[in-house]
Amino acid sequence: MIAIEARGLTKKFGNFTAVDNLNLTVEAGVAFGLLGPNGAGKTTTIRMITGLIKPTAGYVRVYGHDVMAEREKVIKNIGYMPQKFGLYEDLTVEENLMLFGRLYGLNKGEVQQRSNELMEFLDLKIFRSRLAGKLSGGTKQRLSLAVALIHDPLLLILDEPTAGVDPPIRRQFWEIFRDLNRRGKTILITTHYMDEAENCDKLALMSAGRIIAEGSPSDVKRRAFGGDIVEIVLSRPANLDIQGVKIIDADGGRMKLLVDDYSTRVSQIIAKLGPDLRDIRPVHVSLEEAFIKLMGGS
Amino acid sequence: MRFTAVVEKELRQLVRDPKTVVMVLLMPVILTILFGYGYGGKTSFPIAIVNMDQKSGGYALSDQLRNMFDIRAYARTREEAIELVREGKIYAAVVIPKGFTDDMMAGRTASLEIIYDASEPVVAQSIMQMVGVIVLQFELWASEKFGTFSISPLFYSVYGPSTQRVENFMPILMGTLLQLVPTSLISVSVCRERERGTFEQFAMTPASRFDIILGKLAAYFIATISDVFLTISIAMLLFGVQFRGGMLDIMLLSSFFLICSLSMGLLISVLSRNQLQAYQASIFAFIPSMLFSGMFTPVNLLSDVAKAVGYSLPLYYYLDAFKAIAFKGMSLQLLTYDLEVILIFTVVFSVLSINLLRMRVE
Repeated sequence: MIAIEARGLTKKFGNFTAVDNLNLTVEAGVAFGLLGPNGAGKTTTIRMITGLIKPTAGYVRVYGHDVMAEREKVIKNIGYMPQKFGLYEDLTVEENLMLFGRLYGLNKGEVQQRSNELMEFLDLKIFRSRLAGKLSGGTKQRLSLAVALIHDPLLLILDEPTAGVDPPIRRQFWEIFRDLNRRGKTILITTHYMDEAENCDKLALMSAGRIIAEGSPSDVKRRAFGGDIVEIVLSRPANLDIQGVKIIDADGGRMKLLVDDYSTRVSQIIAKLGPDLRDIRPVHVSLEEAFIKLMGGS
Repeated sequence: MRFTAVVEKELRQLVRDPKTVVMVLLMPVILTILFGYGYGGKTSFPIAIVNMDQKSGGYALSDQLRNMFDIRAYARTREEAIELVREGKIYAAVVIPKGFTDDMMAGRTASLEIIYDASEPVVAQSIMQMVGVIVLQFELWASEKFGTFSISPLFYSVYGPSTQRVENFMPILMGTLLQLVPTSLISVSVCRERERGTFEQFAMTPASRFDIILGKLAAYFIATISDVFLTISIAMLLFGVQFRGGMLDIMLLSSFFLICSLSMGLLISVLSRNQLQAYQASIFAFIPSMLFSGMFTPVNLLSDVAKAVGYSLPLYYYLDAFKAIAFKGMSLQLLTYDLEVILIFTVVFSVLSINLLRMRVE
């Protein structure tokens, strides 16, 4: 099943094209990361997916329903956490949860029960009577997530949920997101922290309003460099003439190789070099490096 | 229910916002006291009767006048009466001429002179209307007894010292409190949500535009209705303001107008880009209302253009009905026209607000 389907999505603000003919497919059940630097058009894309802004061209369907034409059907399935804290600072944690629960059409008893579960799950119990405006940044984000989950939506759309949050707390958030994903929630998340994006099943890299690469984190990296990178150490110089293996860096006996297919090429290398091969290991490439490579290449 | 969830939320926010508390609770108190002390404390319409007829007809008419008016001074001559008006002791004098009874018996047209204080147009107007009613009743009574009889009133204007009176400040006070305060209070409510980003979260819920607009309207109405009670109570208790008409009628009329002001403020909020703009717009909208709706100057004394502006503003209809109830003792049932126009304004403002509200963040 497809959770989000965007086709030809374009948004222009005057002469400026924020999102340019974007196509995106998010399958149900995945954790999908929309990556890119600030100003790449991530938030504009998210807002078009949620129906909060109207596309200049193209359309978005969420679980098969058009976002603009069938808003009521779409909204029920989406839990949304905006980039900027969007809850009422002059209401308490519990009052915010109650309000949004009721706006989603739950009755008082249902909201009460659901709020308690969420406050438990997100460690908000001790803050229940505190005004939202008096919470710390991380707690505000947890409350924001709780509100996004109040109506038990199928799809969670999280816009920069970890922006401005301390690294250890960011990790906690990702554990929560993974946990929610395991419980069956489809997640669309934007971030400009490349390291976090490794947690996603699928990624789309955005730059200047376009998607420049898409796939799993390893797919994206492989695409950026044209394959996997392997480091080998040789005891003496040897012939490495294998189809699909390219030397990209050599420093005496230590070499970096680009291989088009990891498992077959590695076994070929081992077979060919035999005892001359002292060490062979994959080189971990960061998404950031991949992104820089992709940006430079395009 | 979504609507009640919105109402509850708005009320919570209103109660927790110190600015609202100041505006809603202190403004009526401060303004009423300010206006009350500033405008002095006389509450009735003292007039004089100069009975030069000294016969049965003249006495009968004086009796009827005495039933309706507060007769403070007696003057023997027309000149004495003019002097009293000039000094500000009375607001008008009714001069019953010599031979009034003879004219009545003979079925001739009798004259009746009304000397009034032109520096108090509102008071003068209501006195004239009241005298008009008495004259009409008297004509009917006399015609039945003695055959056709009519009175032709003559008006003579005198400028008094223009002492300010409580009756003058009540329309100004009610107008300010029931338009400026609620309009500016609610005018920021939608754009504040947009500025703070709460609208983005709100717009992602299935709450409809009806829920938002009508929920806010209801909550602000509940929060500001106390202004009507507060203002009237202070004016009555502290300054001895007395209304001729029914208290319930005044409250009812004021409540309808309050909703109208709130719906106008909401429309401003829906149309404004930010809080500052909304605030300025609500104050700007108050200026023509203040000038052309009969707050200070009766509308029929204005130029045609100013009159047209006045007629296109809801405050005019409120003040028209308010004065009629408060000073002329009319009942609200007779003022359905004013009430209908106020209701039409309210419906138009609300429908526009609902239709123009965009559930998006662009």
